[in-house]
Amino acid sequence: MHGRKAYELVKEFASGEKGHLKIFNNELFERVIEECNEHHNALQSLIRKMQEEGLEVQTAKNADHYGALVHHLSLTRNKRCLMAYVYNRAEIIRDLAWKVGLLHELPSEIQEKFGDSEEQYFKDHSKSLKLYMSQLSLDVNVDMVPPKDPYIKVRVLEDLGSGIILSDKSANFARHSMHFLKRTDAEQYISRGLMEELTG
Amino acid sequence: MAGQSDPHISLFSAEEVEFMAEDELIEIVPNLRMDPLNFICGDFGPFLPQIATQVPFWLAVALKKRGKCAIRPPQWMSVENLTQVLERERESQGAFQVLPFHYVEISRLLFDHARDDIPDMYMVRSLIEDIRDVRIHKVETSLEKFSGTSAVKIPNLSAMEVNIIRPFVGRALQAFYKHDNPEKIPDVDRPSSAQTRVANNEPRRPLRR
Amino acid sequence: MANYYNIDDILAEEEFVPVVFHKAANGVVIDPSSETNSVEQGAKVELPLWLAQELYLRQAISISVPACFSQRTRLEIQADAACVDLKSRSPYFYEFGCKIAPLVGDKTIEILLLSAFKIRYKEILTKAYTAVFTTTSKFLTLLTKEETNLYEAAQASMAAFKKWRMGGPRLQRASVLGRKRKPLD
Repeated sequence: MHGRKAYELVKEFASGEKGHLKIFNNELFERVIEECNEHHNALQSLIRKMQEEGLEVQTAKNADHYGALVHHLSLTRNKRCLMAYVYNRAEIIRDLAWKVGLLHELPSEIQEKFGDSEEQYFKDHSKSLKLYMSQLSLDVNVDMVPPKDPYIKVRVLEDLGSGIILSDKSANFARHSMHFLKRTDAEQYISRGLMEELTG
Repeated sequence: MAGQSDPHISLFSAEEVEFMAEDELIEIVPNLRMDPLNFICGDFGPFLPQIATQVPFWLAVALKKRGKCAIRPPQWMSVENLTQVLERERESQGAFQVLPFHYVEISRLLFDHARDDIPDMYMVRSLIEDIRDVRIHKVETSLEKFSGTSAVKIPNLSAMEVNIIRPFVGRALQAFYKHDNPEKIPDVDRPSSAQTRVANNEPRRPLRR
Repeated sequence: MANYYNIDDILAEEEFVPVVFHKAANGVVIDPSSETNSVEQGAKVELPLWLAQELYLRQAISISVPACFSQRTRLEIQADAACVDLKSRSPYFYEFGCKIAPLVGDKTIEILLLSAFKIRYKEILTKAYTAVFTTTSKFLTLLTKEETNLYEAAQASMAAFKKWRMGGPRLQRASVLGRKRKPLD
């Protein structure tokens, strides 16, 4: 049936956990594009046939017209599915810059889910976000939860070493070590899962 | 809100509602001497030992944490008043008692940071929890009575209570609205997508305060 | 175009409807019983809604009421709406119903949708706020996509409130990173 592959593509996106990326399904994506080309060719050849028969393509409503119509509709349906797939994934990818932060490269588990152009899209998006923030002289992607105290207590979960210099201190962030850090400095490490906030 | 709170699920997270509550004013008794503070939201102080003054909640908590003041719990937070509220809340099935709009958040902030300033703290806390549970249960009962979109009126709900039910009620009302509109069945030869669009753009009853 | 990128709207339009072709169409393989790659006038086939809807508007086909709005389903809904497995009828029962009603000119579908939703809404409400999960898991399998969204919206906001009430760390690892891997020792 027409549009079935495109449906599978959208269905696959919908079956994932909300807000999580699945691996970009290149094979199916390409297959749908191929189908679009097939519809396009079929549409063209039906219209050519009508023209050869000397019919007015705009007004003649013969079997060829309706055949061409079905191909046209299938083509636009496929296009809508492809667009929705890309668009909805792009939304999640943009979200990553806010939810995971721009401090480091994304973890490889996420990067490997990107399609080729999606990788570039994330890089470009991060770059313009960073530029925007530097022009404002303001980090707009901190304080995602309304702030309380300017300093919080954290525990380091993965060995970060001493190479990190925060806005007001540098220390050896060995695994399991505990620190009292500026909340805005710690926030991105926490959303990365590299540190955890300690309360009480 | 491009925050960690999911915009698809709820407009505000509980933390965000709490943040708004922190702008409410509360009386404190400072034990330090300090010049007035001039903020965008207003001027507070001067602060003199043993002289009560009004400040926003966030400032009260910050001073309290540093041992610079005692917080005076609001009048409605007495055992006597809360016992009455709870009784009336239980008696009247339909109506909600009048409580401060941010009573849930304010009471939690005080329990967290100023327990030594609240007389009968454990009693007060359990009364407020009971009141909240009775009210939430009542909200659910009144939601059961929905059967269309004609009008929805639940007066005296508090900020947090509204926030809890907002995602559900918002969605449910949209569905009722969609199905409860007989004239929405269009003339047969108009595309249905246009119809849906028209329906979605009709004004909805605002649920937010 | 408001719903152009909407995943649920796309999936709802993939539901199949029975149609009869009033015009022949060449060069398309949509009639499984046909031996040629064309559709004859009078051919009866099932088409996805997105295709049927447009062909109908151009008077190429007529549409009949799909199985999920059959007399039998209606009787079942009248008998006990809360227990009908609408998901297996169509996960997009309401959206599909709204879209198909004007095409088949059947106003009773809208009435059916409203009466079903009124009763099931109450059931979702009580289950979402009060029942324990084990007793609701069976119930959940009967729900359409929108009903599930409604149930989850109620559950999620209540859970978020309870989490806030308990206190604890305000900043947390981004959930988009998935389950936490155990760090290597």
